[in-house]
Amino acid sequence: MIFEMKDIVKTYGPVVANNNVSLHLNRGEILAIVGENGAGKSTIMKILYGLVRPDSGEIYVNGKKMRFRTPSDAMAAGIGMVQQHFMLFEEMTVAENIVFKNEIHRGPFMDMNKTVETVRALSDKYQLKIDPTARISECPVGLRQRVEILKILYQNAEIIIFDEPSAVLTPLEVDALLETMRQLAAAGKSIVVITHKLQEVMAVSDRVYVMRQGEVVAERKTADTNIEELAFLMVGRQIVNRVIQPVHAEKTLLETKDLRLTEDGREVLKGIDIHVDAGEIVGIAGVSGNGQSELINCITGLTPVTGGQVLVQGQDVTNRSVRAIRDAGLAHIPEDRYVWGSAPEGTLEENALMGRQDSEPFSRRGLTNHGRIREYARKLIADFAVKASSPTQKMRELSGGNAQKLIVAREMSLDTPVLICCEPTRGIDIGAMEAIHDRMVKKRDSGAAVLLVSSELTEIMSLSDRIYVIYEGRINGEFKRDSMDDKALGLLMVGGAVNHE
Amino acid sequence: MGIEYLASVFNTILRQTAPILLVALCAGVCSKVKVFNIALEGTLLTSAFFAFLTQYFLRNILLSVLVAMGVAMLLTFIMSFFIVKLNGQPMIVGMAINTFSLGFTTFMLSMIFDTKGTVTITGENAGLPKIALPVIKDIPVLSTMFTNLTAIDYAAFLLAIVMYIIMYKTVIGFRLRAIGINQSAASSLGINVARNQIIATTLSGAMIGLAGCLLSLGSVTLFIQNISSARGYVALAANNLCQGHPIGALLSSLLFGFTQALARVLQNTAIKQQLLECIPYIATIAAMAVYNAIARRRAKAAKL
Amino acid sequence: MNEESRNWKKTLGAIADSFGQPLVAVLISLLLGAVVIMICGENVFTAYGAMIRGAFGNEFYLNDTLKRATPIIMGGLAVCIAWRSGYEAMGGEGQMILGAFCSALVAYYLPLPGFVRLLLAMLAAVVVGAAYSALSAWLYDKFEVTFIISTLMLNYIANYFASYMTNFVVKDPEALDINAVQTGKIAAEAQLSAITPGSVHWGFVLALVAVLIAYFVFKKTTFGYKSRMGGLNAKFALYGGINARRMLYIVLLISGALAGLGGAFEALGSKYRYIDQMIFTTGYAWSGMVAALLANFNPIGTAVASILLAGLSTGGSAMQRSTIIPVEVCNMIEGIITLLMSVKLLRIAQRNHKARKVLREG
Repeated sequence: MIFEMKDIVKTYGPVVANNNVSLHLNRGEILAIVGENGAGKSTIMKILYGLVRPDSGEIYVNGKKMRFRTPSDAMAAGIGMVQQHFMLFEEMTVAENIVFKNEIHRGPFMDMNKTVETVRALSDKYQLKIDPTARISECPVGLRQRVEILKILYQNAEIIIFDEPSAVLTPLEVDALLETMRQLAAAGKSIVVITHKLQEVMAVSDRVYVMRQGEVVAERKTADTNIEELAFLMVGRQIVNRVIQPVHAEKTLLETKDLRLTEDGREVLKGIDIHVDAGEIVGIAGVSGNGQSELINCITGLTPVTGGQVLVQGQDVTNRSVRAIRDAGLAHIPEDRYVWGSAPEGTLEENALMGRQDSEPFSRRGLTNHGRIREYARKLIADFAVKASSPTQKMRELSGGNAQKLIVAREMSLDTPVLICCEPTRGIDIGAMEAIHDRMVKKRDSGAAVLLVSSELTEIMSLSDRIYVIYEGRINGEFKRDSMDDKALGLLMVGGAVNHE
Repeated sequence: MGIEYLASVFNTILRQTAPILLVALCAGVCSKVKVFNIALEGTLLTSAFFAFLTQYFLRNILLSVLVAMGVAMLLTFIMSFFIVKLNGQPMIVGMAINTFSLGFTTFMLSMIFDTKGTVTITGENAGLPKIALPVIKDIPVLSTMFTNLTAIDYAAFLLAIVMYIIMYKTVIGFRLRAIGINQSAASSLGINVARNQIIATTLSGAMIGLAGCLLSLGSVTLFIQNISSARGYVALAANNLCQGHPIGALLSSLLFGFTQALARVLQNTAIKQQLLECIPYIATIAAMAVYNAIARRRAKAAKL
Repeated sequence: MNEESRNWKKTLGAIADSFGQPLVAVLISLLLGAVVIMICGENVFTAYGAMIRGAFGNEFYLNDTLKRATPIIMGGLAVCIAWRSGYEAMGGEGQMILGAFCSALVAYYLPLPGFVRLLLAMLAAVVVGAAYSALSAWLYDKFEVTFIISTLMLNYIANYFASYMTNFVVKDPEALDINAVQTGKIAAEAQLSAITPGSVHWGFVLALVAVLIAYFVFKKTTFGYKSRMGGLNAKFALYGGINARRMLYIVLLISGALAGLGGAFEALGSKYRYIDQMIFTTGYAWSGMVAALLANFNPIGTAVASILLAGLSTGGSAMQRSTIIPVEVCNMIEGIITLLMSVKLLRIAQRNHKARKVLREG
């Protein structure tokens, strides 16, 4: 046993994130910790890595009792973590990123030749191919993750923690990652992988802990269990697959024709033709960074397009103002709730009003009607079961899920024929997620056109009537609900071609 | 006139550039570690005052320089402590230090010298000693070009190169740049970001102290209210143009040194003093606008 | 803890948040000022006594303070509107200089009836101030020149330009002192007159009206909402359909107009002419900025803070007369107040307290 945690308790105010969690890790083993969002996985991982201190409980590494105050302590004890959000220096090279803090130097000067050599040797040793002199900003996501892994190996970590490592990867990259994990384990490293993707757990791990509501509810040898059992343990009930009635599409409500965008000399969108009809949810699948954000920004008027057309309800709104496009009948749940979707320092009222600031009854001849605004905010909060104490509370005081619910409530209450949802459930708990999904389906059933962009393939596949696959600013394929195939989808997402008969 | 005159203009440019460059180099370090320092102006003013004060009473040039550097480091430390540790809004912290410095130096001036006007030091060895370069001092035009320059003038240009080496070739510089690029990545690897930011900015503040010495003990040995007259802000603009790169700072400071020199060179013409004084400020705005316009056009050109 | 007492605590906290910190900042600054006074060998109570008497002691001094407060209030309002909308512009000084200068010229030279001249003079200040402010907005919009650099440089340019004009173009022909660099004295009928003989001029009343209007606009109008959202999160405002560019120009135009008008009040109601450096050396615009910061960009709070800061300054002059302490000690106090206001002191104290509590109990 290389590592052990005993009776870890961690609370945040009234919320118990970890309740008496005990687990251990054997040398050369691949251990998976699975659970839904909010099950306490990430807290466990933060405690493991010294980012958070537990309220009580003990940690042992190689039988020695440890107390991690900072990540440095954890690192010194041989623990490294590949974080979900990469911690890299964009404008620096791969080699520089890997040696940071343990630089190879001659006197006070960096020894770049030797640095590159060492990094190359390291990459050869573990068969993790990289170009040491490439800049991080030029590396695709899969390579960046490889840099993160090399960084940890360079620090001689014995225990490697992976936090949701496949969340941002394409199916092909995932395969490579799983292979890497096996190799590392074979090389004697001990691995903890925290995830909610059960196929990967089955494919790579030796042993699994299942967490639910802050507690370890089960421990299984991977060989002795199956996906169904793990899923049941995770959710605590049988998962019902959402049944979506096919609809007869009539009228096209949102359409782009040969939409093009060039940014800083780079062609980001290369002629996008999509359409969303009344009564359908259309998903855009793709590895993030292939033009999804830009496409949405162009449709919603946040970025002026370089060519092509955007039509909302048949009306040409290309390069019109955000106001005009919204007025043409479009609402938009943005991809980042704190960057675009809200003013965290503003009150809930102020956040609820956005988009309707010029419309009656909230505003008349330039004067605001506070009573009506408060009433409206209260209504949104009640209708969407947002947990908030008062409409004058600050937005940042809400939890991520509740903040997202308020944003969804705001945009859905605009009651527009077209709704754009970008990453509508990113990083929120399963309850809020289901509530939001229900609303989206309801919206579609009411005859609206819903465009869904998500990096969660499962979300797209379970909700969409039709799917476009986007790759490097082009539409690289289209699926109907009845002909969806995740293998083909994965291939198209990385630029492959599929023969349609 | 003629070539001798041009040589003297060149000399003026060098002397006007040096203080701006020194301050811009400090601004460069601050911007590399993401501490937005607009207290440059007040720091420059206060250190110029203390350099003058020490020299006035003690007549010890080395001590004066050290005091100026110490004062500049102290103020820069306060600035970065308030921004980094106390989470103060950089703009307000900077303006506070600038307001305070203007009040403080005028206050001290009238308390100690009983005047709000000009105080001068006269006599031999009043200011920084001028360095006569061995061979060059005997060559006609070259000697004019490099006449009356002090050790700090030369140091300014040398420091641009030294700072380049520190920031881009050493381990320390590597880490500082990394901190500026991604603070959370650096701290996730156990780097104490705040401490690094504060130490780096404070040390770089010493360069403002050197610039202060040039203002009050350089080509003239006097102190007058608001002697820095926005040079700190001009240096900020210079640093803006070069994105914190020391060699770039050398070039952009030369540009602003040139405009300052222009105002002085034209002094004996028909153009009135007040209008000449505007030149550096107009030039600063124009340089920023032109630079940004070119940068944007270049980005556009890359599209084609 | 029951609901009621929690609400109570919250309200107390809010009050402490909005009043506590300015109070603490002012007290600490005055304390440091006291140390300086002692170092200078003066009695703190005599000095501060002289200061308070000189600021608010009798009707004459009080009027003097209010007169001085007038341009500070206007400069403060200019900062309020710009900063709360997210534009950290500091061009109030330049706009004030040009406002004062142009209004003095209009009121002196235009051959029109007095009252019309007065109105036109104020209008000129509004237009010039707004235009000068719009220039920095344009530089930001077109060339991305940051406000800090453009506005500070424009301040210097305005001052030198006005100085040049006053020295060589529109110098007072009737000046008794040949060295007085100033424009001609505005005739009595074109001045902003005193409300009652010997009292503060009507400019002060107009400034208070501006304060009330600003308060109303911030709280009750769609424009107030839009500008606040732009200040809190510019991307969010853009996403919600608020036209950022339009807001930029409107906000900066209003801000410049207010500052310009502040300059006009000073020229028309206090000095009756433009005197070289009259805005630059008095630091009205900077005091206005400090006032706005102290009040967290609340217009009414800004007015109160402006009057206090004006008192600090008139009181400082009185102190200078009766002690050896120069008036600049007030600038130092202002600087320290600003520095202390730059951080959320109370919140930090609270957070530390909470953190310690958690550690103790944990």
